[in-house]
Amino acid sequence: MRYSPDRLDLTLILLICLALATVAVAGAGPGAMIVDGAVLTFAAVKGRRIASDYLDLRSAPPLWLGLATAWLLLVLGFAWAVSAVSFLLR
Amino acid sequence: MSTADCDRADSGWGILNGLPGDPMIWVLVCSELAAFGLFLGAFIVARAVSPDVFAFGQAALEPDLAGLNTLVLVTSGWAAARGTASARVDRRNRSRLWLLLAMTLGGVFAAIKITEYAHEMDKGIGLETSPFFTLYFLLTGFHLLHVCLGIVILALVGRRADPVHVETGTVFWHMVDLLWIVIFPIVYLVH
Repeated sequence: MRYSPDRLDLTLILLICLALATVAVAGAGPGAMIVDGAVLTFAAVKGRRIASDYLDLRSAPPLWLGLATAWLLLVLGFAWAVSAVSFLLR
Repeated sequence: MSTADCDRADSGWGILNGLPGDPMIWVLVCSELAAFGLFLGAFIVARAVSPDVFAFGQAALEPDLAGLNTLVLVTSGWAAARGTASARVDRRNRSRLWLLLAMTLGGVFAAIKITEYAHEMDKGIGLETSPFFTLYFLLTGFHLLHVCLGIVILALVGRRADPVHVETGTVFWHMVDLLWIVIFPIVYLVH
């Protein structure tokens, strides 16, 4: 019998790739706005995928995936904005 | 349609209708996300106020171990989601095995985190070393507490492996996973 990966397997592969990419990108350069932006963007993509496929909000009313995405964007966007402003003021 | 899916249909819970698991778990999830969101917001603002203190503190952390913990926790989340999928089609023994894998990986996460704390304490770092470490230990310690609580919850729902209970327990577990995905870059990586 041939095994074919389903959406959960693909989500795990994506999350592992993004986690490895996060560590690799973070080690590439200290404190640059673009590096912080990339790391936080990867986190947003990972978080949304967890909300969508692990928490199964994909099958729930769209409001809930929207709220989870909004929370991610609010926290990660705030982290990036404050980091960027601090970087520009240095 | 599975038992759990049937329970998701309109059941008088207003906007909580249609969510996996017991609707009350979502009240807890929302309050936890709000609390951690505010905590992370405080951490971000404190870093902007004292950038040198935070840069010095962050340099003493071990992002490789924290990155490894991310891999462990997302794999654990995958196992928990598989456990839910098995419970939904009434394959309870298989569901228990998936939940056991999720719990084991949760234990690995806790062990790595405690190892990390031990390394920091060996360097003489403690809760009162600097504002960075006060917030770091409180934030990650509070999260670790949730991981331990999540393991207990998965063990409890795994005993009967009832679809709705497994969904409820794994919702909590995925919330813990989601929180780490946000905590890791903000605490360990972003400058």
